[in-house]
Parts: sequence; C-alpha cells; structure tokens
Amino acid sequence: MGGIMSFLKNLMGGREMRILILGLDGAGKTTILYRLQVGEVVTTIPTIGFNVEQVTYKNLTFQVWDLGGQTSIRPYWRCYYANTDAIIYVVDSADRERLSISKTELVTMLQEDELRNAILVVLANKQDMEGAMSVSEIHTALGLDNLRTRTFQIFKTSALKGEGLDQAMQFLSDALTNRK
Amino acid sequence: MRQCIVRYQPCIQRTQKEPRFKNLISSSRLFHGFKMYTLMSGFYRYLTQKDEFCVVILGLDNAGKTTYLDAAKASKVKGHKRAESSRVTSTVGLNVGSIDMNGVLLQFWDLGGQTELQMLWDKYYAECHAVIYVIDSHDRERIEESKEAFDKMIRNEILAEAPLLVLANKQDLPDCMGVREVKPIFNQSAHLIGSRDCMVMPVSALTGEGIAEGINWLVDCLKRNVDSRPPRNNENR
Repeated sequence: MGGIMSFLKNLMGGREMRILILGLDGAGKTTILYRLQVGEVVTTIPTIGFNVEQVTYKNLTFQVWDLGGQTSIRPYWRCYYANTDAIIYVVDSADRERLSISKTELVTMLQEDELRNAILVVLANKQDMEGAMSVSEIHTALGLDNLRTRTFQIFKTSALKGEGLDQAMQFLSDALTNRK
Repeated sequence: MRQCIVRYQPCIQRTQKEPRFKNLISSSRLFHGFKMYTLMSGFYRYLTQKDEFCVVILGLDNAGKTTYLDAAKASKVKGHKRAESSRVTSTVGLNVGSIDMNGVLLQFWDLGGQTELQMLWDKYYAECHAVIYVIDSHDRERIEESKEAFDKMIRNEILAEAPLLVLANKQDLPDCMGVREVKPIFNQSAHLIGSRDCMVMPVSALTGEGIAEGINWLVDCLKRNVDSRPPRNNENR
C-alpha cells in the first residue's frame, strides 16, 4: 500500500526537493532550520553531525539537511552533495573576521560538479545585530561577483526575529518549481 | 653448399622484410584512420560550436529586469513557462538565463538594481558583449534617477564598444511615457553614447510586446561587433 501511495505521490508532485544548509559554525544554520520547520526559536548546541527535517512550504515538501559547520567537520559536507537541488548558505553578517574563511568554503563548494545545477541562496543572517554588514558588502566579500553561470540570490535575514526567511523560501520554491 | 646459401639468402631477407612491410601498412592505416578521426571530430565541433555572447541587464529596481528576462526566454525558448509576475522578488544577486538563437548562444545576466547594488554592475562590464538598460516608463518621478545611473554606466570606458539597447518598459500601463518622451531625456547623453550601436525601444515585459524585436536587433549588433568584442566559444569554457 505504501508503495502505491509513494508511486502516486511521485506521479503527482515528483520527488521531494533536497536542500542543504551550509555555513561556518555559529552562523545560525540550526536556528534557521527549526525556524523554518516549527516557526520558533529553539535553543541549539553546536551541531556535530547533522539535523535533517522535512519542511513544508506552500504545498512543496523539502528535505532540509543542516550540516555541522565546525572546521574539523566541514570536509564531510561533500558526502551530502549528491542529488542536492538547492543550497542555503548562511553567513554571520556581524562576523567580519571570518568572512574570508566563509568565502573560501563557498568557493570550494561551488566548484563541485555534483552541485553544478543547484540553486544558491545566500542568507546574510544576524541582521538584528549592530554593525551587521550590508548585502553589497557581503556580495563582494564572498566573491559572488565571480559567479557567471549560476542563479543566486542574497537575503537579509534574522533567524531570531524570523525576518527574511519567508521571502527566501518563496524564492527557493519558485526557483525550484520553474527549473523543471 | 653454395646453392643452399643462395636458396636461403632471399628467404632470410624476406622474413626480415615482411614484418617491416606489414608494420608499415598497418601504421599507415592507423595514420589515415587518425587523420579521418580528427577531421570528422573537427567538423563535428565546427557544426556544434556556438558563439556565446553575454548580455547584462541593468536598470533601477522595479524597472522590470527580471520580468524582461523571463519574457525574453518565453519569446525565444520553446516550452518556457512564464513565472507569475506577482511572485517575482526583487533581485539581490544574479539571475542567469540563456537563449539559443540559431547558432548564437545568448547568456543573460540580470542584476539587482537597488542603489546599494548598482556599484556591483561594473564587475560584469569586462565580460559582457552588450548592455540592455530597462526603464520604468510609468515612474516619472524616478526617471532622473534612472538617467543618472545610466550616465554613470555609459561613462565607463570598458563598455565603449558594446551595443546598447534601451527599453522603455511597462508600455502596457495607461499614461506611461512613450518612446517619444523617454528618448529625448536619454538623448541628452548622446555625447557619452558616442558611436556605439544604440536603440531605444518600447516594450512591455508583462505582455511580451516588443521583446523579440529587441533581441533580434541585439543579435545583429553583436554579430557586427565581433571584431571589438569577440564571442566566447563553448570550447574555451
């Protein structure tokens, strides 16, 4: 019975989209994931390993993976790249010092062949903090102006206040449905 | 004894010669085959190779750049489904779209137009082959602002030879400015435009009116302009 149901589901809406949330440690990836899923701010601890949740947004189901961002476990991101439809890259807008590290990680990630067709959404998170960088600053600091063949979009977000996430999800769902 | 030597001598010679000869035949066959292969593959590449031109779409925010790109794809790409115009979010980043027009590949870069993002435009100038500048013809209050951004853009020397297509968008709205009204405003910068190909066209990205004509004009200009801005080939990528 389950087989028939999933067959019908495949026929109707296709497979559920796979999204990765990546970024340096402390950028707010886990907070964003649970903000998307339950709509609340949960207390988080640094992720060692991953969190995976099913997120529904306007009739679309996404399988969202939040991977740990600490230096020692970043090399394992690549194990999750296969069949990824979109990447949400989270940046701590108040952390100017580590932005160059964030850039390096982003650039190496985007060179992966498995992510060639993945849509990129950059979240300039922690906009509620004072001295947060503007979108254009982050755009240049991440070297996004070197991208030529990939559609990407930057959003100002505050996971704590829940700002900007809705627009980001709307863009993502539109981009993913139009891509097919 | 002597006979024996005579009889054996050629025999030895032949056995020495024969394999050499055989080698020669097989290697020349190989050689011809290889030549044929390079010829055929070169021909195939010649047939499939496409000139690629990059076009950057600029203009103030809410001028309709993203909708224009969508309309352009709808007019030239078969089976392209148009996005709902109400759901187009303001671009902060880059929208990429490519259109294949009989042998020419157009790659569009649609950039964000907010004041803060305008300083990122020049990052794309060196690699683009043409510029499309979109104006909101309905927004009379911001036409001067649009003109200023336009002037700043065309002052850039990197773009000196690039064809320029200026689009008076939103012609579907009542009491919008027509080309007659828009053109004089932007003609004030004629000295900056100089000798590059330039065209002002009325379009409606929403209804798709005038989109195809603009792109056809652009492709003609790009082909004419190959000497100063040679296309990228998809091999080189």
